[in-house]
Amino acid sequence: MTKQKLLTQLCWIRTFKNKLSTQKMQIIYFKVLTLLCWIRTFKNKLSTQKMQIIYFKVLTLPLAFLLVYAIKPYYGGEISIKLNEPTSFTLNTANYSNLILYSLIYENFFYLQKDGAISTHVFDDYHYDAGSKTLSLTIKDNLSFSNGKPLTAKNIQVSLKMFLGSNLFVASKLNRIIKNIRINENQILIELLTDNPDILAMMTAPELVVLAENEQSFSGPFYPEEWEKSKQLTLKANPFYAGGRTYLDAVKIVFTDDSIPDVFLSSPKSLKENFQEFDSGIYQNIYLCFLQSDVGQNTKIALYTLLKKFNEASGFKYKALHTLTSDEESPVSIQIKTISPQKTASILKSSDIKLYILASLSYLEKDLTDFLKDSNLKIETLFIDDSQMMNFLNSTEVKYVLIDKIFQIKTPVEEKISRILKESSFNQFNVKYLRMLGELDEVKYSNSQELLMEQIASISETIINDGFIFPLFQKNYSLYIRNYWQAVEIDYYGRPLFHKASKIND
Amino acid sequence: MRLLLILFLYPCFSFPQSSAESLVQEVADHLQAFFKNKAEARVAVVQFENYSELTDLAMQKIYQTLTARLENEKNIKISDLLINFANGRGEFNLSKVNELDYLLYLKFIQNKSKTGLGMIIFSRWQDKLVSIKYVEKNLGKGEMEFLNAKIFAFSELGFSKLAEFETKKNLMDIQSINSADGQIQYFFYYPDEIAIYLAKEERLEKNSSFKLKWTRPLYPVLNYLGKLLLFTFKQELFLTVGNNFSPYAQLWTFSNNQWLETAKISFVPFKQLAFNQNPYLVGARYDEGKNYFKDKIYFMPFTDLTINSGIYEKKAFPAYAIDFSTQEGQLQGVHLIDRNYNYHLLTADFTEKTPELNKKGASLAASEGQWLAVSDYSRQTDQIFFYDIKAGGQRPVYTGKIPGEIQFIAAGIWQMVKGFWVCIQLPQDGYGRSVLQFWGKRND
Repeated sequence: MTKQKLLTQLCWIRTFKNKLSTQKMQIIYFKVLTLLCWIRTFKNKLSTQKMQIIYFKVLTLPLAFLLVYAIKPYYGGEISIKLNEPTSFTLNTANYSNLILYSLIYENFFYLQKDGAISTHVFDDYHYDAGSKTLSLTIKDNLSFSNGKPLTAKNIQVSLKMFLGSNLFVASKLNRIIKNIRINENQILIELLTDNPDILAMMTAPELVVLAENEQSFSGPFYPEEWEKSKQLTLKANPFYAGGRTYLDAVKIVFTDDSIPDVFLSSPKSLKENFQEFDSGIYQNIYLCFLQSDVGQNTKIALYTLLKKFNEASGFKYKALHTLTSDEESPVSIQIKTISPQKTASILKSSDIKLYILASLSYLEKDLTDFLKDSNLKIETLFIDDSQMMNFLNSTEVKYVLIDKIFQIKTPVEEKISRILKESSFNQFNVKYLRMLGELDEVKYSNSQELLMEQIASISETIINDGFIFPLFQKNYSLYIRNYWQAVEIDYYGRPLFHKASKIND
Repeated sequence: MRLLLILFLYPCFSFPQSSAESLVQEVADHLQAFFKNKAEARVAVVQFENYSELTDLAMQKIYQTLTARLENEKNIKISDLLINFANGRGEFNLSKVNELDYLLYLKFIQNKSKTGLGMIIFSRWQDKLVSIKYVEKNLGKGEMEFLNAKIFAFSELGFSKLAEFETKKNLMDIQSINSADGQIQYFFYYPDEIAIYLAKEERLEKNSSFKLKWTRPLYPVLNYLGKLLLFTFKQELFLTVGNNFSPYAQLWTFSNNQWLETAKISFVPFKQLAFNQNPYLVGARYDEGKNYFKDKIYFMPFTDLTINSGIYEKKAFPAYAIDFSTQEGQLQGVHLIDRNYNYHLLTADFTEKTPELNKKGASLAASEGQWLAVSDYSRQTDQIFFYDIKAGGQRPVYTGKIPGEIQFIAAGIWQMVKGFWVCIQLPQDGYGRSVLQFWGKRND
């Protein structure tokens, strides 16, 4: 990083600090845009890649050891995984759970491995020609969907067009560079407006999948067989899967906690017996939200302080969160100054607080209830289902809410901040936020990392200044896989891939 | 350090081994002297008893060493009738005794300090004992342990690797034929092509190739598996190719110097066999997209070119590997490795012959009615075992270490030596290469 850039950033910090002082808020933000943050942001890309390779190697060691005794891979068996229940089989990759589910029934154009390698099951050949600015994809011969219907170049063209029409960052980025998509027999020719060799990397987006015209046909390694609502969904192996018939006969997706599934998410180092632990590549952020504008600053800070104390009292179970996304990737670090326990108690004593908590945070219930009971404060906790959240927004009764957001580490920070803005600003969302989103979109195509970071910092600043969302904690997740399943791969996006998974049958 | 010690100590351990070998050699020398003036005397060991502390396995090794020595004697035509050695006694196929001139009785005994091998030669024509020989040696503890150890190999006497080639990935099978000009043509079966090679000294040179086109329905696979069969019928050359990704095998005919696809067959043909003097194609069906065969064996008459009619089936086991051993064109036995890696032998009438529960494998191939090659069932450091099946039984004879994972085994011929092609996936090979080895008996 050059001195000039550093000076620019320091000036920016000063400006922001001045702004804060003029606003005379009791919350003191220390926006620390330090060299360290920048180095971390950029270095992260390198170090995490290296670390990923090391981690990958460490993970593959026990698997390789198992393979010594693997003999011929065994065809058969059913693996169970705990996920959230979907609403339909129409592609919807809004969250991590869906991303996994739909990866089982819809085939990606390309896969991005943890080591950065790109692979495909659908295309025999793919190459980018800089001269003609064209990416050529040659589809494999005689491919079929799960119901035996032919999977052709036309399906690839239509799927790509549908993806481009979606409301995703990568899609809009691709939309801006693609001139046209043509078919020449078994080839799909994607012509670009300008030379862009990164086109292939962009096409590894997990949402870019092969779709059929018929909703009952699936391109993925499995297809839905039986759905017992609120209980489980059984997927059967697709005999026509382009990547080769899976060793597994079925995947059972369970929605309840009745039994321990073969694959599930839990806190890192939970030391589950007979399970292997993998980095899931996701984390859950917990925020304190104030849905009504009539909540005073003192009450906000007091409640925030109380919840920080709760984490302290429970032995710092959760990692402190000082940004809207993740401390490791955010250009800004936010410190909200807490107040003394006496002051907290005196502020909250007179308040009649109902703290609404999303059901996805139900694991906090016991500890939090005990803590609040000990504090002798009149704070009532109410758990609400995630799907009911929207209905509660219109009620002036609901003032204090604990919400969560699950993010994938690999998702670009701009995409995360955009999601927070869209999904967590609730009734605060207005023209100002819409404009900020538009600006963020513009900055993304400027190819200036500095500008992008500044925009992210600016959005973070606005959101925090508006005082309706305070970041509290972060919870990391590991993916646990039962020992007797071998060759389950975890891709760049943290999805467990069951394509070559098989049960140890020695 | 420990490894070094073992290496240095090895000569000490190997020294006493020569005592057992010299014991066998003395007996073999005696036989050589006895049969010196006789021509092609038909001889076989028909009784072998062990009263020493050596194990049954050690007895098999001693027996194997003796028969290997006798195989090289020009005046002796040795038959190997041993089916198994268990509980201190050899089990022999005595149905063949009528075809012999001399019978050998062996006995292994042990006194306080020495171990002895006694042999009686019995003449069937004279109906009496014609010679007795007893030799004894001091077998040290080290040699006892060595003989009792679970290794079958006597590599200098048995199968060894005679050739090795690198091949592109997904090779599924190899077969060969004698072409009109007397050269052997080697057919390499890949999922999308048949490549034909000719042997040039120690090399294989690509001569020609033709593409294989498969049609829907196609079941993409993680591991390509298939079988190639070459056969002649009414002076015409035919070829069939079947696999685990297409439900139909293809029949190709060599006509006007080119290969043409002429029909589809509803199973994967393995061999052409004769039943009631009529030719049949025999084979099995893969479970589509998977790495094993379904539980049926199919027989299809090939008396004219009406394909897929008159097919009948026999129940077998779902199997990772199947092969058919033959004797003079007739079915001798069906060899299978089931999905639990257990070996099964079915006789020509499809009755299972004494299941040998302890015998496990992964791939196998039978070389006519002579030898059976079976791979071990582990990855990365595989092994290949050769069994003698001449007498209708199966007896481990030789073993060889393989530096990778055996993908398939196919009976074949190289430089006039009959043996087995073994296709191996190399461990940690990021280039998707395979190695092809040929294993045979040099003295055959």
